[in-house]
Amino acid sequence: MLSRSAERLYWLARYLERTENIARLVSVHMNLLMDLPNGVEMGWQQLVRINASSRQFYEKYTIANERNVTRFLLTDAGYMGSLFSSLSAARENIRTSRDLLPDEAWEQVNEMYLFVRNHMESVHHRSNRIALLDEILKGCQRFTGLLSGYMSHNHPYRFIRLGKNIERADMTSRILDLASLLLAESRSDEMRQYETILWVNILKSLNAQLMYRQQVRSSVNGDDVLNFLLLNTILPRSVGCCIAEIAGCINDLPNNDTLPEELVVLGAYVQAIDTRNTTQEQLRDILDDLQNKLGELHDRIAHNWFMQGVIE
Amino acid sequence: MKSIWENYKTESAYDELMCSEFQPRQVSYRLCQYLNSLNQGDIDKRKIAAELAILEMGISFTVYSDEGNIDRAWPFDIIPRIISSTEWRVIEKGLKQRLTALNCFISDVYDEQAFIKDGKMPAEIIHSSKNFRKECVGMKPRHSVWANICGTDLVRDRDGVMYVLEDNLRVPSGVSYMLENRVITKRVFPELLQDIDILPIDDYPSRLQDMLASLAPEHIKKPQIVVLTPGIYNSAYFEHAYLAQQMGAQLVEGGDLVVNDDDCVYMRTIEGLEKVDVIYRRIDDDFLDPEVFRKDSVLGVPGLMRAWKAGNVSFANAPGAGVADDKVVYAYVPEMIRYYLNEEPILPNVKTYLCDNPEHLKYVLAHLPELVVKPANESGGYGMLVGPHATSREIAAFRKIIQENPRNYIAQPTLAISTAPTLCNGKLEPRHIDLRPFILQGENTFVTAGGLTRVALKKGSLVVNSSQGGGSKDTWIINMERS
Repeated sequence: MLSRSAERLYWLARYLERTENIARLVSVHMNLLMDLPNGVEMGWQQLVRINASSRQFYEKYTIANERNVTRFLLTDAGYMGSLFSSLSAARENIRTSRDLLPDEAWEQVNEMYLFVRNHMESVHHRSNRIALLDEILKGCQRFTGLLSGYMSHNHPYRFIRLGKNIERADMTSRILDLASLLLAESRSDEMRQYETILWVNILKSLNAQLMYRQQVRSSVNGDDVLNFLLLNTILPRSVGCCIAEIAGCINDLPNNDTLPEELVVLGAYVQAIDTRNTTQEQLRDILDDLQNKLGELHDRIAHNWFMQGVIE
Repeated sequence: MKSIWENYKTESAYDELMCSEFQPRQVSYRLCQYLNSLNQGDIDKRKIAAELAILEMGISFTVYSDEGNIDRAWPFDIIPRIISSTEWRVIEKGLKQRLTALNCFISDVYDEQAFIKDGKMPAEIIHSSKNFRKECVGMKPRHSVWANICGTDLVRDRDGVMYVLEDNLRVPSGVSYMLENRVITKRVFPELLQDIDILPIDDYPSRLQDMLASLAPEHIKKPQIVVLTPGIYNSAYFEHAYLAQQMGAQLVEGGDLVVNDDDCVYMRTIEGLEKVDVIYRRIDDDFLDPEVFRKDSVLGVPGLMRAWKAGNVSFANAPGAGVADDKVVYAYVPEMIRYYLNEEPILPNVKTYLCDNPEHLKYVLAHLPELVVKPANESGGYGMLVGPHATSREIAAFRKIIQENPRNYIAQPTLAISTAPTLCNGKLEPRHIDLRPFILQGENTFVTAGGLTRVALKKGSLVVNSSQGGGSKDTWIINMERS
């Protein structure tokens, strides 16, 4: 398998996962707003903050209201982190990797791209927006299903899983970041009352509510949700499970250097995270640290297998 | 109810589907009968379905413009073009004969040049050809075949005879559109394809793979085949990726390959360097190897020619094969067939005036308004003059250009190239078409059943190139022997 192809498939998967995650993030935020009573301070600017994009946002807009933030995050072609930009980048990567994937995979991504492009203007209406986000979530799942059903589980497939899981772990940590931000800012008792609603929505955003109920069997509370989403090794979107998936791919790839050992260390690091009795401030540091570690892992993968690494 | 045929006027040209305004040819009878059973709404629905399929399948070509490269959807006309299998058998034979003779000629040009020594062609034609590569002299590609993939353009004149317009032997494109056109037609007219006995075309990728494998150095059992593309900004990138995918071959760019000190070609993979045996290159000779050809090429790979000469890698098409893809050399192909094969040409050439020849030049300059003048070495329909459609100023300008460089121009009579019914604003109108079958030659020779029919969508236009407002149609070879 060409190093160039490995790189493109890895990014294809990252961009597609990012597309899906932005859709989840915006969906869950809208849901949360509908559940909370009027007057509870819960801003759209948090969505911009957890994507580390405040500077870019305020260069274009003055107020972080629903209309501006959703436009920025969903359809702004000039912002690299928007859903449309991510989907376009995914499409470009798959367009240049068609020799490795089943036809239907390309058609699926292309159809989603055309769908979003044709419905850009309608997202400021809430109901249209919900329909669009729904379509994206379904489309991304169809893509995953297509590959799992049509494609040999070969090296190209492993690079796709690799990209997907790194992006996923990163996004889960950002969603937990969002939760801690919201809680930290809301000093009022009124917000505290609605803490459970917040955590339920966090679980929903990661499609984890049912699994939480089955496995944790406690009422929904912050500590348990954090533990579940960070440490669990079988829930697809928990960080621990993503790390296990990444380790599995890396072990099966050739020339994996010392990466398998490094993944063991990373896995142990995640399992040692203790979120009980942490302040919001400490939790944010833990999550930041985790995101940095995922960044380092990306660099190691790129150096080991992609073009830059192979050209001496 | 108004018929979709209400505007149909067969012009002075031969019409592929109709004998007259009202009478379909025998071969197209079933299709016309079917079309008559559809109303305007049905036709519009099918057209929209086809356009949607093209968008979703992402069939595109890239157009270069000031605003950057635009990926345009492939313009497709849903009404197929039809040829009977009886006629096709003859054309197929003619195409094989022609490519075989051309390959004999190329081998000869890079060897003893007997054709020239025997006085069949002036030596200057080869010496002045910019596609003659002296670096290739003495090379012996496998099976003595230089041009492995050929796209020959055929047109039918008013007399109903199919003529060869040109042989594309460098990096002919269009075959992926031929294949995709059939996929779309199957979606749009499923009931028709079931009823009519149409020769299948979808074995092309496996034929291509077999042919490429037959080029590998003899001792290699399972050759590593790659498709070398100039990259995503090339207008035919879609096709490069499509063919690689269909064959299960690697699609590589110059940067993915490296030639080592052992004169072997390797690709950079996640497992390190891996040896490459056969390269289906979609890059022109000029850009292939900066060590030998253009020094500034970033598309190619330094050392490819070294590896080729050492016999460690094969190319399709071989470097230097383009020497026969020259409109001046074209004029000599009938003579090649007689000389190398001792046969009479099955497919005729279009009468060609070589401006290099003083007598021809005199005739050409005196008859410019009725001739088509083409540069000897361009493709894509660029830089040509269509006399009957040109202004007197354009003709005067061309007169000067020809006189400055007569070797570089040829002229041909303006053919009344044939037409076929084409959907224009919901009605059928005749539009001019050509046909590009694809011929593969390695250990064996293979011709596609039909080819890519290109259509000039503008009324009256004779230019079918997609870069200049052309579209395409599915091409049906109907089995007349059985039905």
